[in-house]
Amino acid sequence: MTARSQAYAALRICYFNGILPLWRSPLLIAAVFLTPFSFLFFLFVIAPRALFPYGVVGGVLFTALFTGSGMLNDCAYLRLERQLQQVFVASPLRPLAYILGMALSELAFSIPAMSLFLVILFLVTPLGGLGLAALIGVVLVTWLMATTLGFFVSTMFSQLREIWPIGTLIFSILSILPPIFYPATEIPAAWRWVAYLAPSTYAAQLADRAAGLGGQITTGIPALDSPFFDLGMLVAVTVLFGSAALYLARWREP
Amino acid sequence: MPALEAHALTKVYARHGQSTRALDGLDLEIPSGQRFAFLGRNGAGKTTFIKIASTLLLPTAGEVRLFGRDVVHEARAVRAQIGLVPQEGKLFYHLTPREHLREYLRVRGVGRETTEARTVELVEAMGLGPFADTPALRLSGGQQQRALVAMVLATEAPFLFLDEPTLGMDPFARRQVWEVIRRAARRGSTVLLTTHYLDEAEQLSDELAVIEGGRILFRGPSERLKSTLGREVRLQFSGGFSTLELAPFGKVISDRERITLLTTRSAVRELTELALARGVEVTVGPVTLEEAFLELVGRGIEEDES
Repeated sequence: MTARSQAYAALRICYFNGILPLWRSPLLIAAVFLTPFSFLFFLFVIAPRALFPYGVVGGVLFTALFTGSGMLNDCAYLRLERQLQQVFVASPLRPLAYILGMALSELAFSIPAMSLFLVILFLVTPLGGLGLAALIGVVLVTWLMATTLGFFVSTMFSQLREIWPIGTLIFSILSILPPIFYPATEIPAAWRWVAYLAPSTYAAQLADRAAGLGGQITTGIPALDSPFFDLGMLVAVTVLFGSAALYLARWREP
Repeated sequence: MPALEAHALTKVYARHGQSTRALDGLDLEIPSGQRFAFLGRNGAGKTTFIKIASTLLLPTAGEVRLFGRDVVHEARAVRAQIGLVPQEGKLFYHLTPREHLREYLRVRGVGRETTEARTVELVEAMGLGPFADTPALRLSGGQQQRALVAMVLATEAPFLFLDEPTLGMDPFARRQVWEVIRRAARRGSTVLLTTHYLDEAEQLSDELAVIEGGRILFRGPSERLKSTLGREVRLQFSGGFSTLELAPFGKVISDRERITLLTTRSAVRELTELALARGVEVTVGPVTLEEAFLELVGRGIEEDES
């Protein structure tokens, strides 16, 4: 199969594994939307109104990050419960095309929820065209980071029961605790370094900037306070997880 | 060149501090275009062999070559030549059987027109018509299995691995699948299948191998396996004989209702006359592959234990 056929195969996987189920069970849209919307609702009720836009950006990012959780569970389910990944391994399809197809499926699931959050964001922030483009860029890199991590982890286990708690743990740590729904400056100064351990912090700082919101961590060192530092870290972690998915994931069992 | 060659193939699973030898220096050659069946008990090593040969699993030692290509180091080239029905595979729950065929072929790079033609052909040949447009979540296990087999056979891959392809199917569906597998072989595909249905192995395979403890106990046509028993005829008595009385004539298998004797042709007349004289109902027939299989594997286990 040529590179073009592999790319086409990835799009077909996205069609039958992402778009078709969404079309046939629209309730899935609500399922993806519900968790980040609940966080946003709590923020709306209990937090100062000034923090609400952070919650909306958080909704967009949370949805992008949770594509990783979906990827982990779907890939593990197809491999362990339905034995379908094996049917794709024993075929001319390359791992990259399979991973991309599955990741695009997860993106298809999350696009309706992300679009709703973006509409809300337009209403509560002065988000312009450039800011929107930058935000979409951050969302796409975050989606790549999360889905490649999800695929890599999915191949490391041989029991579904082991995977569910691991997935919840990883993606909760990535998407709930770090400053996704709130500005990083809300973290006590002595503990801000902890936020830097989660790659989603870099995504959140970039997304907040794109939406014209302040509240990024400042260290006084210009290189570290620059958005390029956040972007560099986010891309580096994405490359790391992507490489793990391509080269270390168990496309075949040891 | 054989379609598949395995040399000294060994697989040891090491889990939780325990190791299990699933394949133990197995050697095998399958000629191109042959329908070959693997028979064996659960855990004998059949699925492990298929997983290694279909590039899903790495061997511990030894090698497998498919059309001359090493399945470990030339996996990409091997994968272009194969199709696999995994053991107990299931469908995407939201797709119909027709969509499974269509999408899988398109993902494998088959052109649109060929995909449509093969989909129509396989839906017809596998009897999927009545449920071809029903989502998999509303299909029975047997119907799902039929669709999965159709999806893989539609690839017309040069080498097809079918791990228990008719599991859970009714006898009518099984026969439809057999016919499509025969057709695939006539078209030139080499087929390696595993099954616990010995009639299926007999009907479908040109040759078969019996595997036990990761080693091949027998390899050849089913008729030759039956002849290894040294007894060609099975007599079934509805009672009237004791096992001790029949033991000198051959192998006696007794259950509550019937006594089965595997014996030679020369003993048939004497025993049937005796049965008629005693007013005992007797059925005469050839020994089955199942009996030969049980005998062979039973001997293998005894040898291992001793």
